[in-house]
Amino acid sequence: MKEVSGPAPIVLVIEDEPNIRGFLVAALASANCQAFDAGTAARGRIEAASRKPDLLIVDLGLPDGDGLSLIREIRSWSTVPILVLSARSSETDKVAALDLGADDYLTKPFGTAELLARVRALLRRAAKGPTEEAGPLVFGRLSVDLERRIVTRGGELVHLTPIEYKLLAQLVTNAGRVLTHRDLLARVWGPNHVEHTHYLRIYMAGLRRKLEDDPAFPAHIITESGVGYRLIL
Amino acid sequence: MKTARPPIQDAGQAPRWHLGSYLHASASVAAVALVCVPLVGRIDLANLAMLFPLAVLYSALRLGRGPAVFSAFLSVATLDFFFVPPHLTLVVSDVQYLLTFLVLLVVALITAQLAAGLREQRDAAERREALSRALNEVASELSAALTFEQIHDIVERSLQRTFGARGRIAQEGARDNPRGPYADERAADRVLPLHAPMRTRGTLSVWLNDPARGRDPEFARFLETFATLVAISLERVHYIAVANQTEIEITSERMRNAMLNALSHDLRTPLTALAGMAETLKMTPPALSEKQMSLVHGLHEQAVMMSDQVAKMLDMARLQSGKLRLRCEWQPIEEAVGAALRALSPRLTGHRVRTALEPDLPLVEVDAVLIESALRNLIENAAKYAPAGTTITVTAAVHEACLEFSVEDEGPGLPAGREHELFEMFVRGDASAGSPGAGLGLAIVKAIAEAHGGQVRASPRVPAGARFTLSLPLGHPPQPPGESS
Repeated sequence: MKEVSGPAPIVLVIEDEPNIRGFLVAALASANCQAFDAGTAARGRIEAASRKPDLLIVDLGLPDGDGLSLIREIRSWSTVPILVLSARSSETDKVAALDLGADDYLTKPFGTAELLARVRALLRRAAKGPTEEAGPLVFGRLSVDLERRIVTRGGELVHLTPIEYKLLAQLVTNAGRVLTHRDLLARVWGPNHVEHTHYLRIYMAGLRRKLEDDPAFPAHIITESGVGYRLIL
Repeated sequence: MKTARPPIQDAGQAPRWHLGSYLHASASVAAVALVCVPLVGRIDLANLAMLFPLAVLYSALRLGRGPAVFSAFLSVATLDFFFVPPHLTLVVSDVQYLLTFLVLLVVALITAQLAAGLREQRDAAERREALSRALNEVASELSAALTFEQIHDIVERSLQRTFGARGRIAQEGARDNPRGPYADERAADRVLPLHAPMRTRGTLSVWLNDPARGRDPEFARFLETFATLVAISLERVHYIAVANQTEIEITSERMRNAMLNALSHDLRTPLTALAGMAETLKMTPPALSEKQMSLVHGLHEQAVMMSDQVAKMLDMARLQSGKLRLRCEWQPIEEAVGAALRALSPRLTGHRVRTALEPDLPLVEVDAVLIESALRNLIENAAKYAPAGTTITVTAAVHEACLEFSVEDEGPGLPAGREHELFEMFVRGDASAGSPGAGLGLAIVKAIAEAHGGQVRASPRVPAGARFTLSLPLGHPPQPPGESS
């Protein structure tokens, strides 16, 4: 983890299956993280409070309680990034976890490379903090300057409508996180519009057409089917 | 429930005119006259005259209006004939008796009128009471009915018992009347709609024994209330059936979902561990030898492939469970294409992927997760059969009333004449080709297409290769939101 300077970040893995826990800890260690693990929600609660981790990896199917309630509880006192693991294929669980404050999710089975990429993105975001953003954020051929409200693509100014800009600002400030449909609708249109997912989809399509090289195979504004969107830098 | 109660009389029927009543009335007047005979001379005639209204009152209460009026006149005549001098003639010697006669007649007629009215009211009240008792009985019997059969029975029995009439329910929506042909060849005398709160449940046909009853407004009101009771019972029984059915469906669906979730969890967890451990082994020091590395690589690959198969089988099981619940939302197909390509990107590294989506495609109302899965299976299928280095082309366009999404490859093409079989479960294009798979991918695509009212078809691509087309029906998308900039 070259990007993260300073002491090795602490990652707490709360997962009941010992083999998965084992390889997660090994993979995280190989990526220069200090990994701790817990096999139950109760143990996880204690570890989370005592270790002060920089990142939590939580399995949704814990034996002694719902992973969801654990997330809700931890969110009540901490903003630590939470990555959710789910063996269930239903999207509603993931949406529920994200709406409770989880930052990202992975469906089992997942590749180690994918896991480490998500971990890195979340740690980077947390380390930087959303406020100390100075100057434009550059990714791919795009540059987004939230302070001066300027978006360029390949050096050329991109004209965005106010709503498109608001959407992009939400994605950029939450880069690496998954934002649920509900979340984005509430932030951009207000809490009365959380059911109008087609609004969101139409504006997202517009944003992609203006920002992506191939809107049908986007490199940055990623669709999480049935869940929401994620911006990849 | 057998009661010996006679059918309820109808208002037009009683009392009937017949001689007996009038003889009876005459006898009552004669009886009063006989009582008066020994009293003549001892009691003043004007006072004797006051006994006669008793006979009129009796007639009015027992025999009805006609006999009562008759007995009023007969009383006057009797008094005049037998008791007013000169006796045994209708001639009156003293004119003051004319006043007695007049008062007697008026009192008698008023008595007759009032008493007969009272009697009629009593009769009507009794009849109404009998009707409402009959309705009460029907209501309580109907409230215990649990099947349509029982309701039919109760209707027939209670109409027969109460009026001696025959009745039959024709249920709306029921193809055959459970009771076979109607009770009678002749058309029903009354056909009432069975209006229930939710909708009309059918009709009630009634055949009367006595056509005169048809004119009785009380009877008409009774039938209306009766029909409402029957309709409400039919609706109740209908919803009992619906509730039972729904409960069975909910329970079995819950069990099926629980089972699939458990299976999903129990199969995915060890495969995740297996794949993850193999992958981690590769990056944990000390470095593995080349031979070990290739073994670990194979281990990882097999675990990933197996979990992929498991995921497909679980998808297929969900799709086939009958009660698939789609979470349809209006969306651009572009999103599903992007998500599918992204999910597959590790497997597409050997191929060139070209996307050509028509600009300004309309929104489609689909389940995003399922459509992404369908597209993923189509693209994966192309990547599996077309050799590395070739191009996979993904297009979307509007054709007639459908959105058509095609995946073209430059692979070996389709097995001639077997295009349809490809979409069956466990059928593979060329089983000898080295690519792994259980032949579920295209079956999943077909199931998803059909769940959305669309279809999927395979056709040869010119000059070589195959084209798979998924077409989804276009609806009427909602208005895009306006924006004031």
